[in-house]
Amino acid sequence: MLLQSRVVRRRARTAGLFAGGIALFAYALWPWTPMAKEGRPPRTIVFYGFSILGEAINKGVFPDFQRRWREARGEHIELVSSFAGSGTITNQVILGVPAHLALLSLELDADKLAEAGVLRSGSWKSFPFQGVVNRTPFVILVRPGNPKGIHGFADLGRPGVRVVHPDPMTSGGANWAIVAEYGAGARNAADPASAGHAMLLGVWKNVVAQAASARAARTQFENGFGDALVTYEQEAIFDLSRGKLEGEVVYPRSTVLSEHTLVRVERNVSRRDRDLVDAFAAFLFSEEAQQIFVRYGFRSVLEPLNAANPAFGAIEDPFRIGDVGGWKRAKREIVEDVWKKRVLEEIKK
Amino acid sequence: MTAAENGALRGRRESSRLPVGVLLLVLLPLLLMPLAAVFVFALKGGPGAFWDAIRSPEAQFALRFSLLIAFATTAVNTVLGTFTAYVLSKHRFWGDRALGVVVNLPVAIPTVVVGTSLLLLWGPIGLLGKLLVPIGLQPMFRPFGVLLAHLFVTFPYMLGAVKPVLDELETTYEEAAYTIGASRWTTFRLVLLPALRGGLTTGALLTFAHSLGEFGATVMVSGNLRLKTQTAPLYIFAQFEAGDIAHANALAAVLALLSFAIFFFLFQFASRATRERAR
Repeated sequence: MLLQSRVVRRRARTAGLFAGGIALFAYALWPWTPMAKEGRPPRTIVFYGFSILGEAINKGVFPDFQRRWREARGEHIELVSSFAGSGTITNQVILGVPAHLALLSLELDADKLAEAGVLRSGSWKSFPFQGVVNRTPFVILVRPGNPKGIHGFADLGRPGVRVVHPDPMTSGGANWAIVAEYGAGARNAADPASAGHAMLLGVWKNVVAQAASARAARTQFENGFGDALVTYEQEAIFDLSRGKLEGEVVYPRSTVLSEHTLVRVERNVSRRDRDLVDAFAAFLFSEEAQQIFVRYGFRSVLEPLNAANPAFGAIEDPFRIGDVGGWKRAKREIVEDVWKKRVLEEIKK
Repeated sequence: MTAAENGALRGRRESSRLPVGVLLLVLLPLLLMPLAAVFVFALKGGPGAFWDAIRSPEAQFALRFSLLIAFATTAVNTVLGTFTAYVLSKHRFWGDRALGVVVNLPVAIPTVVVGTSLLLLWGPIGLLGKLLVPIGLQPMFRPFGVLLAHLFVTFPYMLGAVKPVLDELETTYEEAAYTIGASRWTTFRLVLLPALRGGLTTGALLTFAHSLGEFGATVMVSGNLRLKTQTAPLYIFAQFEAGDIAHANALAAVLALLSFAIFFFLFQFASRATRERAR
């Protein structure tokens, strides 16, 4: 009797395992079975973007392009996308991910791709606006009510302020932030070099957390870490507008407007997909797409469109990367020489 | 597991409640509460929101892709692992010890290192990958690359489950089979395989569970393309990084439930195996 029930139980267990396994397998395989297929697979655009672009591309720009393409050509297309820190994406493209287009947070990463032989040097300049799709200034996000009284980058250097910052090794945004901090100190100073250095040193003494991307840094801040976050204005106002993030945006008197560069990875674009990829690249610069970017908190390269988003704050003294001599020079003189070689060493002491 | 089984066989000793209390106090924040948090968060927005998060095309794809990779990994490694165990257990040859160590290496190597080494071998700039580029083959950043990584990482589990059983099995049955003229294959099929059933099940379940949760190597070789090569753990990580905790958690809860189910069967079969061996 006892033996019998044990045998029955064992059989039931084995049967359960088999049934569960088969059910799981059937579930997993379903979309690839003939029953679920709807004709041949659609053509796809493979798009890599830096971290904060996710929503704007996946939920805004691409669905709009998809609808227009279907109306004009009667063809259904899909987007395959991946979003991470700009440096991460650059390295992935060098390693050979099949990206057709990549939207990088700084031109320096495009230069890096060119150096690795992935792109023809300067090939992105043949796009409109030299490949710059949109912009966004660097701002400081603080806790509601601004309890630490932060009004600019200089205030981040005060004792007791804990700053969350993306990591310049993998995040393009972090490189912009360093230029913003340095520039805010150096501009209109009697001795620009030492004023810029002092500003960077002050901020970085108080950095308590570094995240791999601007998006990851925001997630840390959102989870209650730190008093201030240096980030893209887009990131801050887009989340505030959706009620996802509690805090206040502080506009420094002087800050940099980041410019985001589009590149086409020629070697990954087959002849069959060329028209589609090119059409999408051109669409990104169109008024329709630019309006969507503005809705998602990016500042358009078509200046008049920016009036449409009331959340954009005024900046007294904005500057661009061209004002500090372009990215190659800024990387060497500000990020490498001042931040990496001096500031990082000094805060270790 | 075996310690608990031995305790059960010897009969439980009723004693002071203090150690039990201390153990619970330690395990609660260490193991139980984090797992509970996943479910609490997953159901925070109500079952409707949970259902919607699970049903998004990306989440569905990630889950299905992970399952398919896990099934494929299990299938390949069941055959390969059993064969390896058979060779290592039944054959003596020069270097067999060294080979025994090598095939168990994946347990000790950090998975990120596995991913890196696969990229450096098969990637477009890798040693062999470079030769494949001209003929248009590229295993990395494709489902096949993910499968390669999972085969590597989970290789020792089937081996570890099957080889001890083969080692313990008395050779007299095999010899008897050979004397009555059974071929090697027939002997394997009719004598060895039935004895291996328990080990095979345990090994397959372990392989499946590890493949389902693999992260370190996958993140390196998959390219993390949603709807193409993004597995469930990568999806969870990407959503969490993007601050979309609701979506991340919903799938995390499903993965956790799946592994509970696998573990339930694992525990059942393992305890049966020990019971049978004890008899």
